[in-house]
Amino acid sequence: MTKTLNTSGVGEAINRVEGHLKVTGKAKYASEFPVENKVYGQGINSTIAKGEIISIDTSEAEKLEGVLKVITYRNAEKLKTFEGERPQIATDSIAPVLQSNKVHYYGEYIGLVVAETFEQAQYAASLVKFEYKEDAAAVINFEKSKSKAYTPDNGSNYSRGNMDKGLSEADMVVEQTYNTPIEHHHPMELHATIASWDNGKVLAYASQQIVEDAIIAISGTFQIPKKDVRVVSAFVGGGFGSKLNLDRHVILAVMASKMVGRPVQVTVTRTQMFTNTNMRQQNEQKMRVGAKNDGTLTALSHETLSHTSTTQEYQEPCGMVSKMLYNVPNNEVTYKLIPMNIQTPFAMRAPGEATGSFALESAMDEMAWKLKMDPLEFRIKNDTQIDLHENRPFSSRLLVECLRIGADKFGWKDRKSEPRSNKKGNWLIGYGVSAASRNSPYQKSNARVILNLEEDEVHATVQMDGTDIGTGSYTIVAQTAAEYLKIPVEQVTVELGDSDFPVTPGSGGSWGAASYCNGARAACENAIKTLKNNRNIEEDEEVALVELLKKNQLTKFEAEGMAEPSAEFEKYSIFSFGANFSEVWVDKDTGIYRIKRMVNVASAGKILNPKTAYGQIIGGLTMGAGMVIAEQTHVEPNFGNFITRSFADYHVPVNLDMANTEVIFLPEEDKIANKMGIKGIGELGITSVAASITNAIFNATGKRMRSLPITPEKLIEAKVEEGVVI
Amino acid sequence: MKNLERWKEKIELDDLNADEREIFNQMGMGKSSRRKFVKKVSAASLSIWASSYFSSELYANSVTDFSEKPWKLLNAVKVNFQVNDTSKTLTLDSRMSLLDALRERLTLTGTKKGCDHGQCGACTVIIDGKRNLSCLTLAATCEGKKITTVEGFASNGEMHPMQKAFLKHDGFQCGYCTPGQICSSIALLEEAKNGEASYVTEDIKNFQSDLKLSEEEIRERMSGNICRCGAYNNIVLAFKEVHSGDDEMPTWEFATQEQMDNAKNA
Repeated sequence: MTKTLNTSGVGEAINRVEGHLKVTGKAKYASEFPVENKVYGQGINSTIAKGEIISIDTSEAEKLEGVLKVITYRNAEKLKTFEGERPQIATDSIAPVLQSNKVHYYGEYIGLVVAETFEQAQYAASLVKFEYKEDAAAVINFEKSKSKAYTPDNGSNYSRGNMDKGLSEADMVVEQTYNTPIEHHHPMELHATIASWDNGKVLAYASQQIVEDAIIAISGTFQIPKKDVRVVSAFVGGGFGSKLNLDRHVILAVMASKMVGRPVQVTVTRTQMFTNTNMRQQNEQKMRVGAKNDGTLTALSHETLSHTSTTQEYQEPCGMVSKMLYNVPNNEVTYKLIPMNIQTPFAMRAPGEATGSFALESAMDEMAWKLKMDPLEFRIKNDTQIDLHENRPFSSRLLVECLRIGADKFGWKDRKSEPRSNKKGNWLIGYGVSAASRNSPYQKSNARVILNLEEDEVHATVQMDGTDIGTGSYTIVAQTAAEYLKIPVEQVTVELGDSDFPVTPGSGGSWGAASYCNGARAACENAIKTLKNNRNIEEDEEVALVELLKKNQLTKFEAEGMAEPSAEFEKYSIFSFGANFSEVWVDKDTGIYRIKRMVNVASAGKILNPKTAYGQIIGGLTMGAGMVIAEQTHVEPNFGNFITRSFADYHVPVNLDMANTEVIFLPEEDKIANKMGIKGIGELGITSVAASITNAIFNATGKRMRSLPITPEKLIEAKVEEGVVI
Repeated sequence: MKNLERWKEKIELDDLNADEREIFNQMGMGKSSRRKFVKKVSAASLSIWASSYFSSELYANSVTDFSEKPWKLLNAVKVNFQVNDTSKTLTLDSRMSLLDALRERLTLTGTKKGCDHGQCGACTVIIDGKRNLSCLTLAATCEGKKITTVEGFASNGEMHPMQKAFLKHDGFQCGYCTPGQICSSIALLEEAKNGEASYVTEDIKNFQSDLKLSEEEIRERMSGNICRCGAYNNIVLAFKEVHSGDDEMPTWEFATQEQMDNAKNA
């Protein structure tokens, strides 16, 4: 479709259409709807890792002024509970809570106090007394529990060729283990809800990434029809995966509302964000890489050991990147999980890629060093246009272009190949590179468009249950409607995040942009097609929307549309690709280091709005930098509680930590991916950043840092690699 | 739905506050097109356009202010303060933070709760000209004070230059830390004028007012406001524009066809 002037259609770097509301404080997040008569719920958390509650004393709490109810397993509503041993956690999983006296991990919800005010609820929650019978068999120490690991029965283990043969053909072998700790998403908006139960009908203002799955989870947990549940998630203050599924505070709020007969607001505290929302689990990734002297890869294996909870199974697909990124005939990917008395982990931004690429791209760098090859050329030598894992072509793969263009921009030719040879005063300076890939799983998505004609102007309202979690959905959907209706973007209103609107796959997994925009496109195309058909106008005839409505003698018209992957889509592997470059300065005496600058090249299909796409990339880079510089949730090895319980102990990157960043988008439209040529970008940015930084640290210091995060003391204590000239 | 109708009437009567008027004006909706627009808005979308007036069948009444609701409060305290040039009298629980008083009693939800521990900066407001963490400020200590929240910066239907700069430079994504970032930024303009030193200030002996802050100074002084979406670079650019007139834009570009060809054929 040709672009009409002044539409600010797709591709334009317009400001966010909802931006005014965010900078003036008018955007309404879940706990901000002024609901009359609401009361406050405060969750209570267990203080043992495994065992049973043997007594509960609620009397002191109940005596307090303003307290309406203390809910524990003894008086809780009966809910649907899990069937089978450790069912897999999914975005639409039920979320049973307070269903027995059993405690499965430290911090699990064991009660909820409902009171007239927040202060009353908080104080009362501290007065409810629990006594436990503790089970000493709690599994809380990852290092000491490796013998308990099992192979998950989900078909994730994979091999092609023959690893032993590949290794025997190799001139050089790298065998190393890379460790990443438990990390938490920590979106700035605390998970929250205001929920009401009204004669079997539920309304929840809730901070959720996928509205439809929140509906399924609530209806499934309470065993009520889906049609009786409405979820509103108009603004989501960050998600990063933690709001993909429905967490138990929403179930607690609905249950409490049913019991007290008033709407109940529950806000998860920042400390509870560690134990009662998702997390990324600890991964121990063992890599074996074999290569010929000329840099040809002969073998690659990627073994991941991580943990799940005792109640649900989650396995992060760390080995995904190793299956498809390079041209290696012999390949093996395996997984093992330790069931631990820690909460169930779940997807955090680029699950699999963010952590898996740290291991793979570190190992690739180690191999390049051993082969005395430029790590950039080593990667390019092993490029492939065929996804050897799926045995099918990539719809488009511009990884080599990403690497070369990024190298030019970054000044890679100035890199000194010998570590510790670029110095400035006390600083050791290093350059690092890594390659990135992220699956682009476009999904079926619906939209509605409502056209209104008044005084020679058409205004369009696009509705869908999709969400904007900071990703720019409002803006790119408005631009899509402007493009396909050929009206100025100022005449488009976008309404998101309400389960009364047409169903989308929601925001997550980098599928949002492609799914939402193609859904909106289909609705707009259907509207125009129908209006033309009704008046026997040829479909390719150019008629302005105003005229079309007039010819139809309509002032209002509504159409819906649905878009879904084509048969062609299934024949290809569809990934976004990228390259990361970083420059790191390390103080040789203190181990303090600074990321001085970064260059990122992204090949992510059609860029709908470079301004919001840039935001996605720098956001990913920032979180990726966080993996290296600070982020780590510590488990206390005797009691199983997290000893990082706030932003004072769980450090995330702040403004001063970040460097100037240049982002280059490749001009690309992947029409195999979908009609608009869009691929995912939300998770591409975080992928392999960690390796790019640690590879730069190696280039600066000659030290291989294989265990994240890298604190200055770890860096000081680490030994220089064999062969590095000091 | 009665409230929805009432809300629509309110708009048609042009009874908007300055911010709401600004939002509609920025959207290119003057008085007449605004009226047209409102007729087309569905119930749920009101959340987006007119935050305080959400209406639903499930809740009998919407309210804008809970200031005088007669709760049975423990150790109730009466406090008077000014919020965004309006005098407010609240009878509140002595344990209530200023943050909760703003959000839960005055429905000024622009000020955000990000940690409730003074560790993230989302709740930053300006109290008597200085930036402060409202989650660490007991409301009862605010007697006679003048508080400005993110809702209070627009005047005469015009956003504050800092708000405009955040919008232009995309200094946010999800928007949840944004009110705190903007309050911090606006207060920081004054701190620079007053010559206040920071952790990274090299020369603290020679006092100077009207400081032109370096990028490192800006980053350090904005490091009390966490943005998990990672919009830091754009926040710095937004601040620079207002602080020093620097009009640098975010550093993204598209590769040229020549670059693509060279890369492919290298």
